Amino acid sequence: MKQENSVIHAENLSVCFHMTYDKILSVKEYVVQMLQKKVKYEDFWALQDINFDICHGEVVGIVGKNGAGKSTLLKVISGILKPTTGNVFVNGNVVPMLELGSGFDFELNGRENIFLNGAVLGYSEEFLKRKFDEIVSFSELGKFIDVPLRNYSSGMVARLAFSIASVVEPDILIVDEILSVGDAEFQIKSGKRMQELMSGGTTVLLVSHSVDQIRELCDRAIWLEHGTLKMIGNVNEVCDHYCNP
Amino acid sequence: MSLKRFSTFTILSYIIIAVLFYFIAGDSLHRSIYYSEMVSLKSTCGEIVRGSEIKQNFTVENDSLEALIIMGATYDRVNDDVLEFKVKDETGAVLATSQLATNELENGGDWLITLSNSVDDVKGQTLTLSVTSQKGTPGNAVTFCYGDSYPVAKYTMPIQIADSDRLTFNGTPMDGILCMSVVSGDWHSFGTYYWQIVLIFGLVLASYLLYCLHQEKRSRRYFGDVFLSAFNRYRFLIKTLVSRDFKTKYKRSVLGIFWSFLNPLLTMLVLYFVFSTLFVSGVENYPVYLLSGLICWNFFSEATTMCLQSITGNAALITKVYVPKYIYPFSRALSSLINFFLAFIPLFVVMVITKVPFKVEFLLLLFGIACLFLFSLGIGMILASAMVFFRDTQFLWGVVSMLWMYLTPIFYMDEIIPPQWMTLYKMNPLYHIIRVFRIILLDGVSPEPKAYLLCILATLIPLLLGLLIFKRTQDKFVLYL
Repeated sequence: MKQENSVIHAENLSVCFHMTYDKILSVKEYVVQMLQKKVKYEDFWALQDINFDICHGEVVGIVGKNGAGKSTLLKVISGILKPTTGNVFVNGNVVPMLELGSGFDFELNGRENIFLNGAVLGYSEEFLKRKFDEIVSFSELGKFIDVPLRNYSSGMVARLAFSIASVVEPDILIVDEILSVGDAEFQIKSGKRMQELMSGGTTVLLVSHSVDQIRELCDRAIWLEHGTLKMIGNVNEVCDHYCNP
Repeated sequence: MSLKRFSTFTILSYIIIAVLFYFIAGDSLHRSIYYSEMVSLKSTCGEIVRGSEIKQNFTVENDSLEALIIMGATYDRVNDDVLEFKVKDETGAVLATSQLATNELENGGDWLITLSNSVDDVKGQTLTLSVTSQKGTPGNAVTFCYGDSYPVAKYTMPIQIADSDRLTFNGTPMDGILCMSVVSGDWHSFGTYYWQIVLIFGLVLASYLLYCLHQEKRSRRYFGDVFLSAFNRYRFLIKTLVSRDFKTKYKRSVLGIFWSFLNPLLTMLVLYFVFSTLFVSGVENYPVYLLSGLICWNFFSEATTMCLQSITGNAALITKVYVPKYIYPFSRALSSLINFFLAFIPLFVVMVITKVPFKVEFLLLLFGIACLFLFSLGIGMILASAMVFFRDTQFLWGVVSMLWMYLTPIFYMDEIIPPQWMTLYKMNPLYHIIRVFRIILLDGVSPEPKAYLLCILATLIPLLLGLLIFKRTQDKFVLYL
C-alpha cells in the first residue's frame, strides 16, 4: 500500500527487455534474418516485481553487482523507461545528475551552455538567471565562461557540469555514481556541496559501487540482485549483508 | 500561460484572423476569374466599316461570362467610330451587349470589352459574338486580329479549327479564330456561407474552451490539458534548443547568417541560368517562380533532414533525462522555420527587381507557411521514428527526397506533365502547398477556396500520421538508442 508521505512508490515493478543477439539496425539485416528465421528474441527481466516506498527527504543508496538492474531502476523512476508491468508513482520533479558533458554543445560558450543544460534539466529561465552568478563562481571558470566549450580542459567541463547540476533544489535528485571531478580542491568542494544537497530536504537516490560512500551518505539502502529486490532497510544492515552474504 | 489567458487569446485571434481573412481574400472567396488563352496573332481581318459584321463562336468554360478581351489594330491612327458588341446564345437571343469607342484604343493592344451585364449559367454553352460598326468608313475604322496557333514557350502549336469555330467576316469564314480571351467566372458557395461557417467553428471553439475552464475550476482533467502544461513547462527548453541549433549552424563560417540568404539566391541563379537556356519555360516571371518553389523545397528538405537526426543525435540526453521526445523534432523544425523566414528576404529582393507589386494579399502567405511547417513536421516525425529502428533511413531519405524534388514543380511548370498522370501527380502534398505560395506571390490574389481545402488536407493527413507513428513508437526509442 502507498504510504502517505512517500515521494516514490514502486508497485510490482518489472522491466523486460527483448534481447536479440545482434541488435538489428538495418532493414536489410532484418529482412535477411527474417527470411532465415533467425530473429530470435530472448526475454530478459532486468527488474522483477520490485516494491518499495521512499519518503520525502530520504537519502537512499542502491547497491548491487554489475547488471543487477540499478541503472534500469533509476531510468524507470526518471521516466525514461516505461515499466513492462507494474507501476511507479513519482511525486515531484526528478533531476538527474548528468554524466559529464552529455547535455553540452561544444560549439557554444559556457554561458550559453549553462542555459542549454539548465533547460534540459527542466529549470526555468528566471531560476537560471537568478542562479547564473552562483553557477559561474562555483565552477571557478572566470573569464572562460565566454569561451566555446571545445577549448575547455576536461576538468573545466566537469566543473561546469557539476556546478549546473548541483545548483538545483529538486524534489528528487538521481545520482548514478557520484561525480568526483576536478582537482583535489574542487573534489572537496563538490563533496561538501553534495552533502549540503542531501541534508537539505531533497530526496536522493544514489547508485554507487563504493559501499563506504553509501554508508557515509545514505539513511536507507536497497540491494538489488539479478533484477530482484534482495533487501531494503537501514543502510548499515543492508551493507553488512551485501558485503558478507 | 494560464488557461484563461490562453482562451481569451485564442478567441481573439480567431476573430481577428476570420475578419482579416475575409477582407484580404476578398473576391476570391466568392468567385474565381479565369482568362482563356488567346491564339497567336497571324493576320488582321480587314477594316470593320459600317455594314460589315464580324461573328465568332466561343465556348464558356465556367459558370458565368464576365467580359471579353480582344486583340485589335488601329492602323496606327485615331479612328472615330463606335463598335457594337452583341453576345447571343444558340437560339439567337441577345444575352448581353457592349459598346466600345475606338478613338483611344491602343494599336495591337488587348481591348477590354466590359459587358452590359454578366451572363450567368452558361457553362459549356457555345455563344456567338457579333460585332458591327456604327459609322466606320474605309480609312476611319479599326480591325481585329486572328490566328490559328497557340504559343508554347518560344514555339507555336497549330490548332485544328472546326468550320463552325472560324471567324466570319460578312459571312465569309476566315482562316483562323479571333484573338480573344474569354473572361469567365466560377462561383463558390464557400464565400456565400463564409460567416455562417466562421460562426459555427467559433461556437465549437468557444464551447470547448468554456468546458476546459469549467473543468479547471473544479480542478478536473480535460482533453488538452497536457498540451498547455507541456507548453508552459517546456517553452524555455524549446527556445533554448532552437537558439542552439541556430547559433551552431553557421558557427565558424565567415559569412554566418548571410548564408541563409545567399544559399537560396545562389542556387536560384544557377538553376535560372541552366533552365532559362536549356528548356524555356512559359512562366512570365521565372526568377520569382523558381525562387518561391526553391525556398519552400529547401525548408522542407532541411526540416525533414534535421528531424530525421533529432532522436538519434540526442541519444545521450534521451537516455539520461526525461523530456517529452516530441520536443526534439519540434525544436529542429522550428529552427528551420527561422531560416525559412530569412530566405524570404532574397525572394522579396528579387521581386522588387522584377517589379512584382507588393500587395496586402501577401499576408495570406502565413497560411502557406503554417501548412508547410506542419507538413514538414509530420514527415519529420515519421522519419525520426523510422531512423531509431533502422539507421538506413538516412541514406534512403537522401534518395527519396531527391526523387520527391523532381516530382514537385520547383524549376519546371506542372504543364509539362502528361494529363493522364496529372491525378497521380497531384497526390504530392507539396504540389498544393507550393501552388498556394505561387498564386499569392505571382498573381497577387488569394487562391480559390478549394486550394485552401486541399492544402489543409495535404497538411493534416501527414501530420496526424506522423504524430500517431511517433506516439506509438516513442516508448521503445530508448531501447534502440
